[in-house]
Amino acid sequence: MSYQRTPTYTRHQGNWNRNQNTVAFASAVKLGPVTHTVLVALMITVLGLIYLTQATRATGYDYEAQKIDSKIAELSSQKTDLEVENARLTALETVRNSTVAREMTSPSSTDYVRE
Amino acid sequence: MPRSLISGSRTRLLAIICVSIMAIFVIRLFYLQVIDHDRYVSLANQEQLKRLVIPAARGEIYAMDGATPVKMVLNETVYTVFVDPKVVTKPNEIIDTIKSVAGGNARDNLKELISHKDKRYEIVATKVTRKQAELMKKKHLKGLGFQATSQRVYPEAQLAAQTLGFVDTEGEGKYGVEGYLNDRLTGKDGLLQSVTDVSNVPLTIGRHNINQPAKNGDNIVLTIDRNIQSYTEKALADGLARTHATNGSAIVMDPQTGRILAMANLPTYQPAEYSKVEDIQAFNNGVIAAPYEAGSVFKTFTVTTGLDTGAIQPSSTYVNTDSIRVEDRTISNAARGHTGTITIQDALNYSLNTGMVTIAQRLGDGTQITKGARDTIYRYYHDKFGLGELTGVEVSGEAAGRVISPDEDGGNAVQYATMVFGQGLDVTMVQVAAAFSAMVNGGTYYSPTVIGGVMDNGTLKPAPVKPARPGIITKDTSTKLRQMTHEARLLFPPGDRAGYYIGGKTGTSQTLDANGNYRFDQTIGTYLGYGGSEDATKYVIMVQVSGKDMNLEGNIHAKPIFTDISNWMLDYMKLQPKG
Repeated sequence: MSYQRTPTYTRHQGNWNRNQNTVAFASAVKLGPVTHTVLVALMITVLGLIYLTQATRATGYDYEAQKIDSKIAELSSQKTDLEVENARLTALETVRNSTVAREMTSPSSTDYVRE
Repeated sequence: MPRSLISGSRTRLLAIICVSIMAIFVIRLFYLQVIDHDRYVSLANQEQLKRLVIPAARGEIYAMDGATPVKMVLNETVYTVFVDPKVVTKPNEIIDTIKSVAGGNARDNLKELISHKDKRYEIVATKVTRKQAELMKKKHLKGLGFQATSQRVYPEAQLAAQTLGFVDTEGEGKYGVEGYLNDRLTGKDGLLQSVTDVSNVPLTIGRHNINQPAKNGDNIVLTIDRNIQSYTEKALADGLARTHATNGSAIVMDPQTGRILAMANLPTYQPAEYSKVEDIQAFNNGVIAAPYEAGSVFKTFTVTTGLDTGAIQPSSTYVNTDSIRVEDRTISNAARGHTGTITIQDALNYSLNTGMVTIAQRLGDGTQITKGARDTIYRYYHDKFGLGELTGVEVSGEAAGRVISPDEDGGNAVQYATMVFGQGLDVTMVQVAAAFSAMVNGGTYYSPTVIGGVMDNGTLKPAPVKPARPGIITKDTSTKLRQMTHEARLLFPPGDRAGYYIGGKTGTSQTLDANGNYRFDQTIGTYLGYGGSEDATKYVIMVQVSGKDMNLEGNIHAKPIFTDISNWMLDYMKLQPKG
């Protein structure tokens, strides 16, 4: 590997200074058109694989989300059933016909506490 | 040029073939991906892109239990069970399972339904609960399917049926609050558009995904108190059983807010079994939907008008001769014998028509019901008390009724002479109860309402207060009317609990036959009153009883029902007696 001095051209050619560091790297390895094509193809393949990996992972999350949604729906359905059952059990007619209510009696007299 | 590609060589030929094949591929791909792009995208979308409607849950309806909202109408997921007879392999096992699990919800002819091998869909059970469906699913029976649907549940059975209404098979609210607030209760369906896999699991890939959540319907909280409603229905049913009347209606209102605490109607029905109702009249809420001639309870309105305009005082006197002449007609009292010089209080006590006509005359020149007197009466009845127009109560089917204006044909002195004692005008019970509330609360008219608010995440958010009309009568007039109706009620021992301030007025109104003539053999009994202490009126109750070819009277048939509800309300509201 070697370094060689390369002239630098600026917009104002007259401003070039003699002691200014103007170096550039030039590789001795030369890639031909076939190599370039293969490299580009490889890069595309790698990018494609990355995309597929991410998409698959996202889809995996979709299945997880779906499972959670199903669980939420199931629990919500159970909650609704319990609410319905609770409403039926605490309905006035149910309470009125309960054993406790049947054994209750009316007070013989009522008194009031004066505030 | 390399030798291998020299014209005519085999390598060159192979190269040409390869290039040609490649060209065919490229052209075909170009055709598929560019020219026919839209078609294939459409086909792919049809296969992969699913549009699913997310159904909005219908709002629930609550009533009050004291200060606590309780559910009156809920939603429940139930299943319709069907079979595909073509793929059924174990028909006997399916029949046994359905019979043992679904019970009464199973169809009777299961064997016949499953034997229809030419059909792909036969319903074998309906309204199966989730638990029952799960039990059936566990059996993994081939050809057995389940379709989930939502249905309304009414845990209180027929309580407040006409106020609640019902939801028909199309999901539309009918009658009652369900009908009136159908849009608010329905909510808005959501939309899920997504690429799905073969199992219909939505995937996040895809550029056209839409996830628009459903907006559930509002959970409405009614002002109806289920305990008051229940007792009112019981008292009304007991009253009808005592009197043998076939129809009855009652309303209980809070006069200080316009909130309706109970509305009862008999005969009634069960909203969950609305399809079994034979007479659709049972769906109507008579309190709001059946205008009628309210009869003598209306005398309180005439007295209030007289007091508020200064035309009369409770102690004002007139000479009662049991009849009075208005133009070419003679109007008589139903209760005869209280003749001579008597007070307006006496006229109210004995429900004398002549006293009310006298008030109407004193609103004019003292001897005639002049145009000025009629204008005043109309202004009070219609403009101030809101009679003859919709109150805006949030229950489907409200009727406006009619109060004839003095400017209309027929709005003459004779018409107004009958209107002042409750004939010749059609009003609904809710109109009368709301106006009477204003008359006994100090003079503020509150529009009657059944909406207390909405439940949002378990918290009651009160409904905005409807605009009130303060000062429609003076406080002094209100106080005097309360005293007069209190005295009128005490004239006949009513059975009220001691230490409370309760007043009211009876009404017995004739009905019209097919020719528009009054019938004397069919009358409607009404009672309108209030209760509480001398300081504040806590409730207003109006009761009406009727029956085909029955003479029902306010004092005998409706008043005891009022008394029953009133005495119970005193306990329920924990009102202390005075003294």
